[in-house]
Amino acid sequence: MCRFRVAILLLIGLGAVVQAAQLREHDARWVAPDRAAAKPNPLAGRPELAAGGHKIFVERCAQCHGKDAQGTSRAPNLLSRRVQAQTDGALFWKISSGDTRRGMPTFSFLPATQRWQLVLYLRGLHEPAARVGQVLRAIRAEVLVQIGHNASRGHQ
Amino acid sequence: MRRSPPAGCFSLYFSLISILTVVVICAPARPARAQEAAYFVTYAHYLEEPGNLEVALANTTGLPKNDQASYSAPWLELEYGLTGWWTAELYLEGVTTQGDGSAFTGWRWENRFRPLRSEHRLNPVLYIEYEHTNEASRIQKEIVGSGGIEFEPIGDLREARTHELEGKLILSSVAGVWNVSENVTFEKNLSEDEGLEFGYSVGVSRPIGLVASGSSCRFCAENFVVGLEAYGGLGSTEGFESGEQRHYLAPVIGWHVTSQTTLKASVGFGLTRASDHALLRVGVSYELPRGGR
Repeated sequence: MCRFRVAILLLIGLGAVVQAAQLREHDARWVAPDRAAAKPNPLAGRPELAAGGHKIFVERCAQCHGKDAQGTSRAPNLLSRRVQAQTDGALFWKISSGDTRRGMPTFSFLPATQRWQLVLYLRGLHEPAARVGQVLRAIRAEVLVQIGHNASRGHQ
Repeated sequence: MRRSPPAGCFSLYFSLISILTVVVICAPARPARAQEAAYFVTYAHYLEEPGNLEVALANTTGLPKNDQASYSAPWLELEYGLTGWWTAELYLEGVTTQGDGSAFTGWRWENRFRPLRSEHRLNPVLYIEYEHTNEASRIQKEIVGSGGIEFEPIGDLREARTHELEGKLILSSVAGVWNVSENVTFEKNLSEDEGLEFGYSVGVSRPIGLVASGSSCRFCAENFVVGLEAYGGLGSTEGFESGEQRHYLAPVIGWHVTSQTTLKASVGFGLTRASDHALLRVGVSYELPRGGR
């Protein structure tokens, strides 16, 4: 019994070390093959299906990528330029294939339609974020102009 | 004569179940979904998500031939995703036979390793399990070797303890909406020389609904998975007697009741003389995600 307990503790310890050692940073070698990356999203003209993608995201992705998809310590920000610059086909391939070395699960058990819905949702997420970014940049520019005006008045 | 189980082991078993039930019920409802296929015996290439713990309770009810008493073999399964390529599981199992009492039948420590980084046409997974069970074990999570189940009194069978090492080669593919999985099993009894025993299981399954609806729903087709699995024992290095082999064909169904809970059921029909008439299996699993950001 004692040996059994020691064995269990050793295995748990080993597991904890392996889990802690698992790297989370960007894996530059995890790249979709050209043919997969070139695939267009067959649901691109059907924005109404993005709601289903949102549901899948909340159930399966938000735990690691965060509710707002902006990433956690476990998985990267899906709104980042590096992710959003990838083609729909490349995102579909990554969702389908996973990357066991970096802890990204394989989602090929989801029907292809649902994986494309997820891509549709991720693309939609980027658009509001981009709009918010544009608004913030405009506000910042406006503030800088105002500061400049005030400063020049002060000098006069 | 009705035999009672050893109080220490059995009370430990049910204490564990009680504690885990409380943990499961009290756990915060955070979305996380197991990569559940509906199979009971066959393994696909999907591992537990890293950091997630899945707690499952399941039961095999056997309806034997020749007027033998039916039996019920429950098991508790704790599955933990250590990394993206390594999942470990601990099983605790028991048995109750009609008119013969109940017993704790042992534990199993299982590990699955996925050697390849990404998805391929054929996805291999290596499986290694250590079993410390007794001859009363009847959960039949895998069937190897030849010959039927022994129907001696549980009190006698549980005295015959065995240490076994089991290996599987799991191959699994995605063909359209179908999952196709094939497992080859090798088992070596470390307690006595029975040669190397062989078994197999193959399964196909698919989700019923292909499109995710935008709203949350329990009975949507997308929450159901159906399939068929076939499994059995082939014999051992000591002999392959076809008349003594057990083979089963089992339709299976899985229902993702919530984002964390899955129910599954199966009826395995015995195909050979040595097989039971039927194996009725039910199981419920609950996924506990890792916390923290």
